[in-house]
Amino acid sequence: MTTTNTVATKEGFAEVKTAKLSTLGFFMALPPVLLIVLFVGLPIFIAFLFSIGYTSGPNRVISIIGQDVYTKENWWGTAQAYTAVIKDERFWPDFALTMVVTFVSTFVVLVMSMGMGLYQRIKGGKIASILSMLSLVPLFVPVVIAAYAIAQFYNGVGFMRTFMAQFGIDFPVITATRNAIILGTIWTSLPFAILMITSGLQSVPNALIETAQDAGASFMRIVRTILIPLAFVPIVIAGTFTAIGIMGSFTVPLFLGPNQPTMLGVEISNFFTAYNRPQQSIVMAFVIFAAASGIAVLYIWANIRSAKQSGRI
Amino acid sequence: MFKSKLMRSAVVAVMATFAIGSSIPSAPAASKTIELLISADTNVQTLWNTVLIPAFEKEYPGYKVNVTFDRNGLRDAQTFAKIVAAKETRRDPGVDLVDGGIAVRLAQGGLLYRPSPTLMPNLKEVSKKVLAKAAGTIPYRASTVLLAYNSKNVTKVPKTLDEVLAWIKANPGKFSYNVPSGGGSGYSFVQTVVDMNLTADERDAMTTAANKDIQAKWAKGLDTLKELNKYTYGKNGTYPANNAATLNLLSTGEIDMGTVWSDQFASAKAAGTMPAHIKVTAIKSPSLTGGPATLGIPINGANRTGGRLLANFVLSPAMQNAIMASSMKGIPVVNSKKLDQTLFENFKDVDVADMRSPYFPANSDDLKSAWSLNVPGK
Repeated sequence: MTTTNTVATKEGFAEVKTAKLSTLGFFMALPPVLLIVLFVGLPIFIAFLFSIGYTSGPNRVISIIGQDVYTKENWWGTAQAYTAVIKDERFWPDFALTMVVTFVSTFVVLVMSMGMGLYQRIKGGKIASILSMLSLVPLFVPVVIAAYAIAQFYNGVGFMRTFMAQFGIDFPVITATRNAIILGTIWTSLPFAILMITSGLQSVPNALIETAQDAGASFMRIVRTILIPLAFVPIVIAGTFTAIGIMGSFTVPLFLGPNQPTMLGVEISNFFTAYNRPQQSIVMAFVIFAAASGIAVLYIWANIRSAKQSGRI
Repeated sequence: MFKSKLMRSAVVAVMATFAIGSSIPSAPAASKTIELLISADTNVQTLWNTVLIPAFEKEYPGYKVNVTFDRNGLRDAQTFAKIVAAKETRRDPGVDLVDGGIAVRLAQGGLLYRPSPTLMPNLKEVSKKVLAKAAGTIPYRASTVLLAYNSKNVTKVPKTLDEVLAWIKANPGKFSYNVPSGGGSGYSFVQTVVDMNLTADERDAMTTAANKDIQAKWAKGLDTLKELNKYTYGKNGTYPANNAATLNLLSTGEIDMGTVWSDQFASAKAAGTMPAHIKVTAIKSPSLTGGPATLGIPINGANRTGGRLLANFVLSPAMQNAIMASSMKGIPVVNSKKLDQTLFENFKDVDVADMRSPYFPANSDDLKSAWSLNVPGK
């Protein structure tokens, strides 16, 4: 700013130009902001009003169609839809399953991509490049195709069972179980995490690692005190994105999970279409929203940390 | 995340559609384009695209049928909202003719034209009982849920629901039905089991209006279904996701018995995906559900004349013959004397008017919900 001002005093037009640029910048940032406010923010707000019992105005049509719709009784609305969901016998097992799948899958994904990233960073070479390239393949396979393929692979007449049967082994049918969902979500989330973490580890300067090696640091010590701290932000970003993605997943639990309990993404869809209870499905959506916001806080914290380190704030 | 966002915005997305749609001028009254919405499985889509629409466009040159396909009626709630919202705002819903279960729901909401023989002469050939069953919609073919079995392994074919239940318990892991919210064939089995404990009058009442008192009598039937968890495919209380998944389990030999739609079974046979030794039979006391597949002309569609013309055409003897001859082997609904007798030979024992109807939508939604609360994984 100081430079601009000194220039501005010398040459009268520069100040105007800066002002123009900032206006231009504002208008360039406007479309995405407007889009999000209009098509995401507003619908969320209206849906929230519906969930607390505001059934008139834009919510009129859906409250005519929906079953078990609660209308507001106080000035602020009603919490009946929320209590109905909390008391529903399906909700807590669904919630527990969603959380278990999210944490287990995210943990496994992080461990696996750390392994891949470290192998490539420390060892390098052709095999490491080929492996990391291969690990990106799932990124280019649509989730619905992948989920169907996994289902076909592990179901009653799937590859695993027919193959094992050749040796007289009765391989269990793992489709329609929680483990199948975990397997599917790991498969679909792995490439992105590997991409993030590998690039994070690559950016750690060689000099630091070599100095530590010269000083006699063990491999684990290098990982613990140099690589992980320096690649911390990409690791947190990979972790939060993976966790949020898994928490809201729909296709994988629909294809691979049990009918009941199921993950909340599927249950929301069941409540909305099959059971025709839009209000309850919105309540569940807000539960996921709250849980995902908790994870998003981690992401923001990591970003602020990195901004502070690089001196941007 | 995406799905939940999608759900949250669904309400307003519908309205937004109208906000945008309103700026586009509606088509002129004498439009030659008919907007057809198919809310069914792919075999129904095939019937329209390969048989009915080509014949219609040949018979009425200049007319064009524009198909929107909604697989398994997954977006029925949104379609319904769209038509309601269009009526409220006096705009064109963009649908002139609907094929699917949603038509009955629309009729109950007073959103369909009452079919009248003066405007659709071919309706005169449809029996009054079938018309009554169609509840304000236009019946154009029928299908029913049947019990499919592997004739190699099932020696004594069950004739009643009790015999089916006994067979399931005697042959653990060899029977399945799909999740009721995922498809009509599994839903039919669930309704039939809970109907065992209802009187004939109560069953009738459940097909015409929401009734929470009668719903309370489902408990016993749901317990029966819960007991089956140990005996159905997988033996762990999990069920196939949709109609197609049940057919798949039958064709691969993983199960020996299951409930299937008559038309989907025939289509699978015609396509060669269902082995010859898998056969179907009807059961009694109570029978599995079925009924006319119906069309509806939304009261606010822009091209209602076109919709009527197409619906009337589908009821013509030529098209009824074509439906019988098609790969889905659809059951005709018009007076059999007008039909090709060789084709009708296969259907002469089927009485559409006698089929047991599925519940009124509000009851069937509640049954799907009650099933998911009480049966899977318990």
